[in-house]
Formats: sequence, structure tokens, C-alpha cells
Amino acid sequence: MNFAIEDSPQQGAFRADVRTWLEKNTPAGIAHSADPCDMTLEQYRIRRSLGRRLGEMGWLYPTLPKQYGGGDLDAEKTVILYDEMARIGLSLPPYYDAGGRMGAPTILVWGTEEQKNRFLPPICRGEVRTWQLLTEPSAGSDLAGIKTTAIRDGDAYVVNGQKVFVGSSHGADQSWTIVVTDPKGERHKNLSWLMIPMDLPGISVVPMDLLATGGEGGSGSGVKNSVFFDNVRVPAQNLVGGENNGWKVATTHLEIEHGGMGRLADRRVVYEFLEFCRERHDGHAIADDPDARAELVEMFIEAEITRLFALRNHWLSHTGQPRSYEGAQYSLRRKLSGLDIASRMLRIAGPRVLSKDPRWGPLEGTVEYFQRDAITALHPGATTDIQRVIMARRIGVGRREREQAGTVR
Amino acid sequence: MDLSLDDTQQLIQESARDFVRNACNRDVLLRLDRNPAETMSLLWPKIAELGWTGMAIPEQYGGTGNSMTDVAVLFEELGTGPVPGPLFSSAVLAAHILLQAASSAQKQAWLPAISSGERVFTLALTEAHYGWSPEQVRMAARQDGSSLSVSGTKVMVHDAIHATDLLVPVRIDGASAHSLLRVGARSKGVSIRALDGFLSAVSEVAFDDVRVSKDDIVGEPGAAWDAMQRALLRAVAVLCAYKVGGCRAVFGMSVEYSRERSQFGQAIGRFQRVQDHVIQIVNHLDSARWTTYEALYKVDSGLDAAASVHMAKSVASESYMRACDFAHEVHAGIGVVREYGLTLHTKMSRTLYHCLGSPKTHRRQLERELKLC
Ligand SMILES: Cc1cc2nc3c(=O)[nH]c(=O)nc-3n(C[C@H](O)[C@H](O)[C@H](O)COP(=O)(O)OP(=O)(O)OC[C@H]3O[C@@H](n4cnc5c(N)ncnc54)[C@H](O)[C@@H]3O)c2cc1C
Repeated sequence: MNFAIEDSPQQGAFRADVRTWLEKNTPAGIAHSADPCDMTLEQYRIRRSLGRRLGEMGWLYPTLPKQYGGGDLDAEKTVILYDEMARIGLSLPPYYDAGGRMGAPTILVWGTEEQKNRFLPPICRGEVRTWQLLTEPSAGSDLAGIKTTAIRDGDAYVVNGQKVFVGSSHGADQSWTIVVTDPKGERHKNLSWLMIPMDLPGISVVPMDLLATGGEGGSGSGVKNSVFFDNVRVPAQNLVGGENNGWKVATTHLEIEHGGMGRLADRRVVYEFLEFCRERHDGHAIADDPDARAELVEMFIEAEITRLFALRNHWLSHTGQPRSYEGAQYSLRRKLSGLDIASRMLRIAGPRVLSKDPRWGPLEGTVEYFQRDAITALHPGATTDIQRVIMARRIGVGRREREQAGTVR
Repeated sequence: MDLSLDDTQQLIQESARDFVRNACNRDVLLRLDRNPAETMSLLWPKIAELGWTGMAIPEQYGGTGNSMTDVAVLFEELGTGPVPGPLFSSAVLAAHILLQAASSAQKQAWLPAISSGERVFTLALTEAHYGWSPEQVRMAARQDGSSLSVSGTKVMVHDAIHATDLLVPVRIDGASAHSLLRVGARSKGVSIRALDGFLSAVSEVAFDDVRVSKDDIVGEPGAAWDAMQRALLRAVAVLCAYKVGGCRAVFGMSVEYSRERSQFGQAIGRFQRVQDHVIQIVNHLDSARWTTYEALYKVDSGLDAAASVHMAKSVASESYMRACDFAHEVHAGIGVVREYGLTLHTKMSRTLYHCLGSPKTHRRQLERELKLC
């Protein structure tokens, strides 16, 4: 076994290249305040411009095939790339692009060659930003219960309905969207996926006011929205994976969303908080207190186990090995440990962790933000209950027939 | 044994319920959450009119001298909002500190004004090295001729933005024992700055060479800490009842939502995983409730209440926070939409977690009460 803490000479050279490249190409002003909802349009644009530069290198979507604009990088190099991004407080992509992050690998499995050539390169090159539109007011966990319809009419599908809890601040170019194409059809056999250009007439986006964004660290996700579709005509060639075959396509999408590919992002806030507790403020360090130290050790262990689950999933997925419950396990662990870590922070550092005041709030407000985000992040993707349901089915608890993981390349 | 509410308590409960349903409904709560400064104009006159500002204050000072359990019944209902504002800080905590610590002239001068709602007192105790133990309270005052000069900073002061008067524990001229000063919130040199974040109505209060007359040393110099502890022991139990109310509200919201929300063709409450979350909430609620009310009973009956109070505070603080967490599990997405109202409790459960001592602080005191150290 080799956890590759030390880079091989070749990997070391790659790391050095990435670091130098990032030093040269990361624009000034890319960092925004602790709360991604405060990200300005200007900051968003700066992130997009870094995205395009990463795209030129094939580093924006490093694991996707080169022929579609990806980087074809192996597992180790991808880890290095994520590492180096995390070092400067960014994730990959450096902006919210959930529809690309999950839609692109799904299209890779289910799209026609023509669709791969049309949809993947702009995503991989950072030319477009994509949201993912699944949830509706009456369908969250029960995704198959959605009501937004897309009815074939000549060379288009006419879309009507409402999505909620979707997207981010500052709009999108397109949305990877699950819809009902056969309203009279049987459950699970009536769904399809559409890539919907967001500038079509009849689409309106209304921001929601949430406790936090529940987003990936470093991606600057921002506010969630309701999206309304009112007789929106979407070109029929944007339907991916076959009409009424959307549930199968969804298993791939959900496998990725539920952590099946392994997200290589540390919980930076934990490691920074450890440092904060070591530092002296007015002659006191939080870590002077043995009770606080015990809690800090627990937090560290929580964060490390979560990191290792992600690393394992990444390894499994990039060496093409079968997976079953691991994606859901990682996701569940990340959610529950997030909440646990947040309450330990409150316990040991007092109410100042709730403050984003420049004088009293630790780590420029990132800890305050984490207090809100740890609660919010319990829900996106799938709730903790649903993650447990998936784990039990995949392990085969109480049944010999085990549910298979969704197909991921 | 009789664990029911008496007639007076039932009346208090009804009028408080009516207040939360009407004067302080969810729209009002959301508005005050966005703009806490409106609390005094929107709620305070009504609160004073209902006589709640005088409930914990003896009749000789203009109050109605109710038992702490009576007061707690009120606060449990207010906690269901959660209704914000300085009622606890002023009319319970500060009033009881004055009852324990102040001279009779001071009581005559201040308590009637608290009781009528005309003046609002709050305790400004905690400092940069945060904590509720005496060694963590270090702010100094200096004798300077006939008055005192106070400089320093208090942080995480609850309700200072609403206050007319601050009760400020200090050490005079390097003494190790604490004295308590009354300082006008608008005195020269006092600046109050609300702290932004996942907090309600908590401020930094900075003192820059503030002049305090010796008449404003509450009671005897150097005798503040013990008097404050006696007052705290009574007041803490009332704060616990507010948290019980918070647990009750998120329990009610969760049960209701488990019935009305349907996924996979059935009410989500049919899923055992959702049932588990709701059961966690009710277990937290009842743990908080019965530790709190037994502590109140002991306070009111003149029994030794210390162990019970320390236990109630550590249980109720943890319970309110965890009950909110489980309520979020039940609600999923809708629960983090601010206008839904659950996050008001989530924020309050965090804001009050350390107020008057964290669960850890109270567990430490419980260790002592149990003669473990
Ligand atoms: C911050 C945030 C970001 C989001 N981002 C997106 C996005 O980008 N795109 C998108 O499409 N959606 C997004 N969502 C929506 C998210 O996917 C849903 O909130 C989530 O799937 C849960 O659905 P729900 O909120 O409707 O809860 P429900 O499904 O109504 O769940 C309510 C409760 O019932 C439980 N439950 C439901 N079914 C079962 C079952 N079978 N067994 C046991 N328990 C069950 C749940 O666990 C929960 O406790 C986001 C949500 C949030 C909060």
C-alpha cells in the first residue's frame, strides 16, 4: 500500500509545475469573504477567467478525456492538482459548476458522440457554467416524483414547471435538468435529461434566502434559487441518454453526487482552527485547556477519516474498481462530521465562533460561516437518511440481492 | 406530588401563548431578526403592559413577586417564538442581581423602574478571555477622587443594544474581589457595538475612561461575586425554561411537518429514520423540561437547588442545540429557508449555549456539588 504522501520525482516535478503555474496565473482579488453569498460579480468573473486558463491546460476537468477538453490525468496527478488548488483556498473548478462537475461525467457515459463533442469541450474549457436542476417543491428525496414536464413538439421539447434549491449567484449559461417526458408513463420510465440553455425565453430565476450555501469549500457557490419554466422551447437534440430513459441516467448522476468519485477537498477550516487554538490571544491559547485539546483531537480525527474516505473513493474510481456503499458512506460521514465539528468549535472557543465581527470572529468569519454551513450542508445531494438507505441497499442488509452502484466511467 | 401547573400558571401560559400567536407571530419574529433594534418599539410597550417586567420583582418594588416557576412558565412560552428582547436580561437576571447585591436605597431607585419597563438593565460580564468564572473577569476600575474611572472591553453582552443601564463587574484598584458598577448605557465613554453573525442581539461594550459615581457601586465594594452567584442560581433556571420552550417549538414543527410532507407516496413521518429524529427531539425536550422544573421547584421551596440548577443548565443548553439539529434533519431543504422560521431557533440555541455559563462550566460546578473534587 502506498498513500503517496511523498511524490515520485515525476510527480514532484508535476507539483512544482502546477504551483508555479498557479502562482503566475491566479488573478489578484480571487478570494472573497467567508460567506460565498457575498461574492461580487467581479469576483465571480475573476474565477471564471482562472477557470478558462485552467481549461487550456486540461486542468479544469483533469480526469475527463483529452479529446473532450479534459486532462486525462491519473489519480496521483489529480490529487496533486486538487492539493495545490486547496493550498490557495480554491477548489476545482474554482467556481460553482455542479452541472458540469456531475453532468459532464454523466454525458460521457450516456451521451451520443455528437453530444459529447458539443457539450463537453465548453464545460472542460471553462467557457460555460452549468447548474444542475433536480429538486422541485414536491420532490426532493423522491426525485422520481418530479412534475416539471417537457413535451415533444416538432424539433423541441416544451418545458413547464418549477425547480427549487438550485444554482448559485450570478447566473448560468446552461442547466442540466431532469424532466418528465411522459406524464402518463410509469414511474421511473417517464423521465429524461435536458441540457437547457438559460437564455431561452420563458425562464426566470428567483433567489432564495437560505441559512448558508451548503456548498463545496472554495467554489464560491453563493445563493440558491427557484427556477421557473414557462413554455420554454428546448432543442430536441439537447435530450441526453434517450427519451424516458432518464432514471438510468440519473443513477450515474446521483452516484457522482453522492460522492462516488471522491472529492479531494480537505476541510480546511478544521486545520486552520487547530492553528487558531494553538495561537495565543491576550496571553491565552485555547489549547491550554486539556478539555479543549481533547475536543480538538476528536475534530482532527473526524476530519481525517472523512479525508481518507474521499481518498479511497478517488482511488477506487480512478483505478476502475467496483464500488458499492462507499460513495454514500463518504457523503454521510462528511455531513455528520461537519455538524459534529461545528458544535465542538462552539463548545471550546465560546460564542465568538458565532461572530463574523472583524475583531472577535475567528479566521475572518470562516468559522462563523461554517457554523451555519454545517447545518445547511446536511441536505444537498441527499439527506443523511437517504445516504443510510443507499448504504444498506448496497451492502445488502437484510437482502441477498445487492443494489448496484450507478455506472461511472 | 403534583406536576401540573396551578391556576395562576395556567393564566400566565394562556396570555403568553396569545402573545406569541398574535403580537409576536412569525412575520414579526422574522422582521425583528433582520432588524433587532425594532424590538423595543414593537414589543416592549405590550410586554410592560402585560406586567411581565414586574413578575420576578417583589411587590415593595412595584412588581408582582411571582415565584420563579411562574416566571419560568412565561419564559417557556416566550421561548417557543423565540421571542427576542431584554425581558430576561433586565427583569429577571439584573433584577435578581440587584435584589441580592444592592443597598436598599439602590433597590428603591432602580427596581421600580425595571418593574415598570421604563429602564432596561443588562449584565455586562464576559471579556476577551471568555468565560463566566471569576478569574476570567478582569476589567479594572480606578478610584479617582470622588468617582471611579472605568476602561476596558466587555464582549458577548446580551441585549446591550436595548439597555438603558449596564451592570458591570470590575476589580477596583487591583483588588481580587469583584465589585459591581451600574453604568448608564449612554454615559460618555461607553460605546456599544452589535456583533454581526449567527447570533442574536449580542454586543461588544467598550469603556473608555467612563466616570462612575461611588453611589453607583452596587452594594458593598468587593462583595459582588457571591451576590451575583446567588442571583444567577435563580435566574439560570428561568433561562432554561426559555430553552425548553425552544425545544417544544421545534418538536411541534417537526411532528407537524412529518405529517404534512409526503415523499415516495407517503407522509415522511412513516419512515423510521424520520421517526428516530423526532424521537431524539422529544427526548431532548423532556430531559430539558424535567431537569428545569425540578430545579425551579427547589429554588422556590428554599431547598438546596445548586446541583439541580447546574444540571438543568447543562442539559437544557445541549438539548436545545441538538433538538434544532434533529429538526433540521426532519425538514431537510425547507428548514434552512430563513422565512420558514426554524433557523430562528437554530440561531437562538447557539446564541444562548454559553450564556450564563456553558454546559461544561456547569458540569464543573456539578462535580463540586457531588463532592467529586
Ligand atoms: C444548500 C442546498 C443546496 C442544494 N442544491 C441543489 C442543487 O444544486 N440542485 C438540486 O436539484 N437540488 C439541490 N438541493 C436540494 C436537495 O437535493 C434536497 O433538499 C434534498 O434532496 C432533500 O429533499 P427535500 O429538501 O425535499 O427533503 P424531503 O425529501 O422532503 O425530506 C424530508 C425528510 O424526509 C426524509 N426522507 C425522505 N424520504 C425518505 C426515505 N425514503 N427514507 C427515509 N427518510 C426519508 C428525509 O431524510 C428528511 O428527513 C439543495 C438543497 C440545499 C439545502
